[in-house]
Amino acid sequence: MEIKHIGTAGTMGSSDILVTIEKISNGIDISLNSSVEKQFGNQIRSVIAECIKNSGIENAKVTAVDKGALDCVIRARVETAVYRACDSQDYVWRGIK
Amino acid sequence: MLENIIFQEGYPFSGRRLSNMKEFLKQMVLDYDEGIEYSLSLLNEEYEIIGCGSLEANVLKCIAISSKYQGMGLAATIVSNLVKEAYNQGRSHLFLFTKPNNRAMFEDLGFYSILKTEDILFMENSKQGLKNYIELLKKESDSKMKGKPNNRIGAIVANCNPFTNGHRYLIEQATNQCDWIHLFILSENKSAFPTEVRYELVRQAIKDMDNVILHQTSDYLISSATFPTYFIKEKSKAIEANCRLDLELFARIAPKLRITVRFVGTEPYCEVTSSYNKAMNKILPEYGIEVKEISRKKDMGKPISASQVRKIMQTGNLDTLRKLVPETTYQYIVSEEGRKLVKSWKN
Repeated sequence: MEIKHIGTAGTMGSSDILVTIEKISNGIDISLNSSVEKQFGNQIRSVIAECIKNSGIENAKVTAVDKGALDCVIRARVETAVYRACDSQDYVWRGIK
Repeated sequence: MLENIIFQEGYPFSGRRLSNMKEFLKQMVLDYDEGIEYSLSLLNEEYEIIGCGSLEANVLKCIAISSKYQGMGLAATIVSNLVKEAYNQGRSHLFLFTKPNNRAMFEDLGFYSILKTEDILFMENSKQGLKNYIELLKKESDSKMKGKPNNRIGAIVANCNPFTNGHRYLIEQATNQCDWIHLFILSENKSAFPTEVRYELVRQAIKDMDNVILHQTSDYLISSATFPTYFIKEKSKAIEANCRLDLELFARIAPKLRITVRFVGTEPYCEVTSSYNKAMNKILPEYGIEVKEISRKKDMGKPISASQVRKIMQTGNLDTLRKLVPETTYQYIVSEEGRKLVKSWKN
């Protein structure tokens, strides 16, 4: 899949995460702002990184504003943002390959 | 707990919805900004506005929550929607202005402070935005400046709408006094001439000047992002606060490029520019940056200005332009593209 434009999913409501994905030229850049950064910041980043990796995308800037979303929510939001950014509807949920 | 919130949105609002929102903002001691392109209101079951927010290009504006409804996550709802709307328009680099005491709230919503003055806090949704811009400026400069004298470095910020002999004169005066001049062309695409045309005409007109480094201002200098007015009551004070914010941002960028002097043409016509120049004379020296006002170049006793050039383009004899603009600008004006542009102003 290839990123065509900015893709976004989620909200900044409590227990949710707003994920934005856009194209860059040099690798994966994850920028996280989380209300639970101290407790789970690295965990959240690794979940995002894993989702992006599974999607096969190699160059993307991911901006996430997290309000304490659980891992399953984070995955769902990242996957959706990726599909939207790529204008793709070939959904394979839980594990873009 | 709020269950039945009603959403209203408009591109922008008009009629009753607009007047209702203005009324609500007034209660919150905010002004409605005329440039707004998109607005969102949240209403309770009685159809009273309990919160609202707006968007102009890449700037979030006029965000307010009724005091009775604060602390319920409404700000998050509003900002999420505004951010998404901006993303849908393809804008990912966003800014907002707020009162300094709202800092924590917006930091929670993914915004980072760029600059704080007494009245205004300026934020963006990127951790590294300003830093990246400064890096880019340095990259644009370093290769050119390498191995050459660089004791005195100056700057000019200009719109060049379009580039005239007056601009050329200002740049020449500046380069005579400096080893290098950083020339910043406004990136904001709100002028009669499109940004890429303005930039290209400048580039062509200064080709022979080896010690001028051309930059774009991006969103950080004199953009609609750096010139807010809406949440300050007295308009005169608003302009002053805007100028201060913009100039303090310049003062932040300048030392990174070792700029110690800013050149500006005297302003005989435009009131906003003239008060901006006045503010410049006051604020930049506070940061150790000298301000040099250069008298405008005159043609037959009248200072040359880009607005005069635009007027002649619409009504006058194009031949008289030859004395006011360099050949490159003239060629553009008489080209088919230039004629089309003038026509588009009339509509």
